[in-house]
Formats: sequence, C-alpha cells, structure tokens
Amino acid sequence: MLLAAMRDMQWRKRRFVIAVLSTAIIFAMTLVLTGLANGFRAEAQRTVDALGVDVFLVKDGASGPFVGATPFAPTDLGRIAASPGVQAAAPLVYAGGTVTLGDATRNADLFGAPERGPGMPVLSQGRPPANPDEAAVSSTLDRNEGEDIQIASRRLRIVGIVENSTALANLPNIFLTTQGAQQLVYGGQPLVASIGIQGTLDQVPPGYKAIDRDGAVADLLRPLKVAVNSITIVAILLWVVAALIVGSVIYLSALERLRDFAVYKAIGVPTGSIAAGLALQAVVVALSAVVVGVVLSALLGPIFPMQVIVPGYAYVILPVIAVVFGLIASGTGLHRAVSVDPAMAFGGP
Amino acid sequence: MGDLSIQDLVVEYSSGGYAVRPLDGFNLDVAAGSLVILLGPSGCGKTTLLSCLGGILKPTSGAIKFGEVDVTSLDAKALSEYRRETVGIVFQAFNLVPSLTALENVMVPLRSAGISRHAAREKAEQLLARVGLEDRTTHRPGDLSGGQQQRVAVARAIALDPPLIVADEPTAHLDFIQVEEVLRLIRELATGDRMVVVATHDSRILPLADRVVELVPDFAESNRPPATARLEAGEVLFEEGTMGDCIYVVSEGEVEIMRELAGGGEELLWVAEPGDYFGELGPLFHMPRSATARARSDATVIGYTVAAFRERLGAGGIRDLIQHRPLDMGDEPATAEPD
Repeated sequence: MLLAAMRDMQWRKRRFVIAVLSTAIIFAMTLVLTGLANGFRAEAQRTVDALGVDVFLVKDGASGPFVGATPFAPTDLGRIAASPGVQAAAPLVYAGGTVTLGDATRNADLFGAPERGPGMPVLSQGRPPANPDEAAVSSTLDRNEGEDIQIASRRLRIVGIVENSTALANLPNIFLTTQGAQQLVYGGQPLVASIGIQGTLDQVPPGYKAIDRDGAVADLLRPLKVAVNSITIVAILLWVVAALIVGSVIYLSALERLRDFAVYKAIGVPTGSIAAGLALQAVVVALSAVVVGVVLSALLGPIFPMQVIVPGYAYVILPVIAVVFGLIASGTGLHRAVSVDPAMAFGGP
Repeated sequence: MGDLSIQDLVVEYSSGGYAVRPLDGFNLDVAAGSLVILLGPSGCGKTTLLSCLGGILKPTSGAIKFGEVDVTSLDAKALSEYRRETVGIVFQAFNLVPSLTALENVMVPLRSAGISRHAAREKAEQLLARVGLEDRTTHRPGDLSGGQQQRVAVARAIALDPPLIVADEPTAHLDFIQVEEVLRLIRELATGDRMVVVATHDSRILPLADRVVELVPDFAESNRPPATARLEAGEVLFEEGTMGDCIYVVSEGEVEIMRELAGGGEELLWVAEPGDYFGELGPLFHMPRSATARARSDATVIGYTVAAFRERLGAGGIRDLIQHRPLDMGDEPATAEPD
C-alpha cells in the first residue's frame, strides 16, 4: 500500500507540489520568525558576553544593569573592588540614545566603561576610547576610525570598531568612557547604572543586588518581550495554517480515493495498510515542505533588516513537529479512509 | 474448496424510514466448480447477495456456508482474511486504481497477502499473460480499453487463486467484442473446484451458466379477463415484497395500503376508496409489491392484468397510470368471479 500511496502522489503531483510549496513557505516564515526571536537573544547575549563582566551589581529595587537600571553614585566601588574573589570592578553606564550621521539619525545603545574594562569589549580595529570625546562603535554603524559622530550635542571621534555589536533588534552599540557616557546621560554627574565585576562576589553588599549574565541578557531583552511574544503567536498561527494545508490536501486526497479504499478493503487489504498509505502521504508532504522551507528560510533571512539567527535545534524540531502536525491534521482524512464501506466498491462508476 | 450453501438469507435495511428487504428468505445450494448466474433486474438484490457472498455485507439473518467456512459468523478481522484469501471480486466498474499500472493493480492483493515485491511482480506478470495482457503491464487503466481493464480486474481477482470468484455485472460497460473476451475468461475461471458467481441482467451470458438463479421469479404476462375479489375486513389482498400480476380497482368498501417501517410496525400510506386503484407498479415493471393491501372494511375489488388494464385505459393511459393520476374508468366491465 505504500507503493500505491507514492504512485497516487505521482498521479496527483501538481496538487502535492502546490501543497509542499505552500507549506514550505509557511515553514520558512516560521523558521525566519524563530530566527528573529532568537536573533534578539543572540545579539543581547553577544553584547553582554563582550563586556567581560561576570556579575553586575545594581541598587536594590533595580531590575537590571541596563534597561531596568536605577542610577546611583558608585561610592562603594573601592570597597567592592577589594572584596574577596573580585578581580576587577568598574563603574558602568548604559542608556538608549540617538546618533546623528550626516543627515540621518539612528537609534543606538550607549555603554560607558573604563578604557581597560571591565565593560569595554575587544575591538576588531583601533583602540578603546581613552577620553570623554572618543568612542568605539559597532561595525554595523558603517563608520570608520577617525570619523566623527554626533550624539545629542556632543561630537565624538571614532577611535575603534567593535565587530557586529548590536542589541535591541539590531541597534548599533556605541562604547564610551564612563565619564563620556556620564556627560551624555547624566549631565556630567558621577552616577552609574551598575558596577561591573570580574571574578566572583562572595557576599553582596547591603543595598545592592547581584545580577549574573543571564539576568543581564534578560534585562537587555525586556523592551523586546512584547515583540517576541507577538512573533511567537504569529509562529503558532503559521503552524496551524501549515497543519491545515497538509490536513486539507490529505483529506481531499482521501475523499477522491474513497472508491479506491473501498476496493482495497473489498479485496482484503488490511485497514491498517490503507491508513499507513495515507499517513505516508502526510509525512512525505510535511518532510518535503521542511526541506524546501529550510532552503527558503536561508534565502529569506538576509532580506530582513534584523538579525535572523535560526537556532540549530529548530532544524531538528521542525521536521518532528511537521510530521506530528501533519499526521494530526490528516486525522480526518485517515478516519474517512479507514471507515469507508467496502460495499461502495460495488455499483456503477 | 467446497460447495456453497445459503439458507434463509435475509438482508434488511432502512430506506427513508421504511424497511427494505432486497433478500428475504433466500436459499441456494451450489456444487463446487459451478458457474452460477444471478439474473434479475436492477434492485432485485443481486449485488446485495454478491456482497454477502464476498464477506462485505453482513446479512440480517440466515447462513452462508462456503465449504467449511460459515461466512456469516466471521468477525471483522476474519472477514478481511476471508475476502483476501477465499474470494476474488470482479466489479462492474472495473475499479482499478487509476494511479497504478496494470501490473501494480494485480500486485495489490499479492503484496497485501505478504508476498515479497519480487515474487508478487513475477506472479502478476504471469496473471496478466494469462489474460492476454502481457504487453500492457506498464499501462495505466486510463490507457486501456474497457475489455482490457476488465481483464486486468479478473487477473487481480484470481491473483491469490481464490476458490470463489464473484463478478458484479462484468459486462455492463463493454461493447460486444469486449464482452466476448470477458465471457470467455469468466467461463475459464469456473474450472476445477473454483466456483464463479456472476450477477447480471445481461441475458447473453446465460448460455455460459451451469446454473441460472432468477432472483425475481418472473411470471408470464396473461390477458385473462378482470376478476372480482370479495374481502372481509382485515383480510390481506397482497403482502409487501411478494410478486403479483394484478392491478386492483376498488368497487366497494375501503382498502388500506400499508408499508413496513424499519424499526418494526407499519405505516398507513393511504386508503383506497371506491373508484381508486392500487398495486400498479409491481405488475407493470415486474417488481415485488412495495406495500401491503389489507381490507379496512368488507370490500370488493376488481383485479386487472396489465394487459387488461392497458386495454381498458387506451392510448396514453399507461402514462397516467405510472403517475398515479385519477383515471376515467368508464363503465365497469363484466368480471369473472374469483376461483
């Protein structure tokens, strides 16, 4: 019966090709959306990792070192730096801002950290900023060393480039000295968003809260949470559409082949074999759509203005979910096929 | 494998809420190796009987024994096995799978019986050669003539060498040249112990048969004069499902026309009063009565044969009769008293 199922697919190849392509486009969109959501997390993770900070100390009540930070004066910095297990501690500043590039203005993430860290990433070109008028920028800003950028009313000289450093949906990161960032963000007041620590902190000082890298990544992703949730909902809806396409194609196939199924039953073919043949069609459609969908997603990903980073597990889960969804969606068709009355084989055409 | 014995077979189903019995107390005994032809018009129960023989339809009551197998007592799984191993079916509409080649169609029962692909292929090639289609193995049904398709269907039916072949109107969609090919093949099948049961209304097949079973006993059309029948209240004139050759006109009293319901009981269809007529379609089309006629009060009816009724109605009367329009019966004819 498996041969008969495959022959039927050849026989109705146009319909199955259309079904495969339609489902593949949906799978590709699902992969791209998954890649987008994962891209947000991946760039946030990359940014936090690049800072080289193991623990962020924030004031009690603050929800993170970035978006959820509460500015405070780093009066305890020296004491914290001298704590056991702490290799280095630095005052860090973070804020969202806009950068003017000629006639264009772009949103950007501003990070302030000492020249030698912690909090200053490794540069692919140039050197870290050493004074308040210098900055290192992400390569995605498309600017070179020696050029100037304007942030608020301040003109800064680019002295270094950080490779592909972005956060918050592909916004370029700009790194300044702590003082430079304080001048931009806090009007020159000696405030910080967090104290970045390399090493471990045995005991958190009273009035502070320690946040690890995962917590910092979650904080950086907080503004995108609604967007990620929306993407997830759309992805689920796309799964439903994909299941409906596979299910309706298999159901139509079952309806058109009722006479065939009745004949199979009448000549003694076991019902299980008939169902297996139809299920095979659902599996073949779903898996073919996965293959085409993966190729399409690779073509569609670069079109998006944000980072599409499809996680490896998605390529493993996609075919599994596709097959399971395909079989569930084909349930109606399968039921129709196995419940057909073999007496239907009798009578005229 | 053995003889076929059918005892008191009843098949009843519901149609529009009414009980329909295409087979009612049917009996048949046939020796192994026979070619049996079930003859009768459409709707007389030929296909129903084939379905029961083929293990596709479970009868309401009665017994079918083929050799040692009591077909009517098999469960669903055993029936599927019985259909696969004991019965080969040739369908009216060929019923080949359009996406499969002739060879693959014949391979279907072989593969489902667990025969390896290679062995099934070899066997299917032999079978197609046997029905003279060795050069059409890779053709799809759409590329074959009706006769060739039916021969592929025959090859498929005999693929597992079943001892019983049932064929439903195997010549219905064939021209006379194709009919000849298929008839020869069907006759050849009924050899040794293998029994072939063919349902048809095609009388060209009759000379092939070892046994002809008329599912609706025919009656010779007669042209005897109208006869008067006197009924007492409650007396049944004729019963649903029986054959009869008379159309009745009520002279006096009332006659109830009743139809049996699927769940038991009867439904009153209408009451024939003096001047009304009933029971016309059965005799006209040689079909069983579709209702029971019972006197509601003491009544007198006149029974006409179809020929006598036609004579009385004149030109165009039959059309009115079929549509059960009120008829101008004119003067009552002279009638004979019932025997």
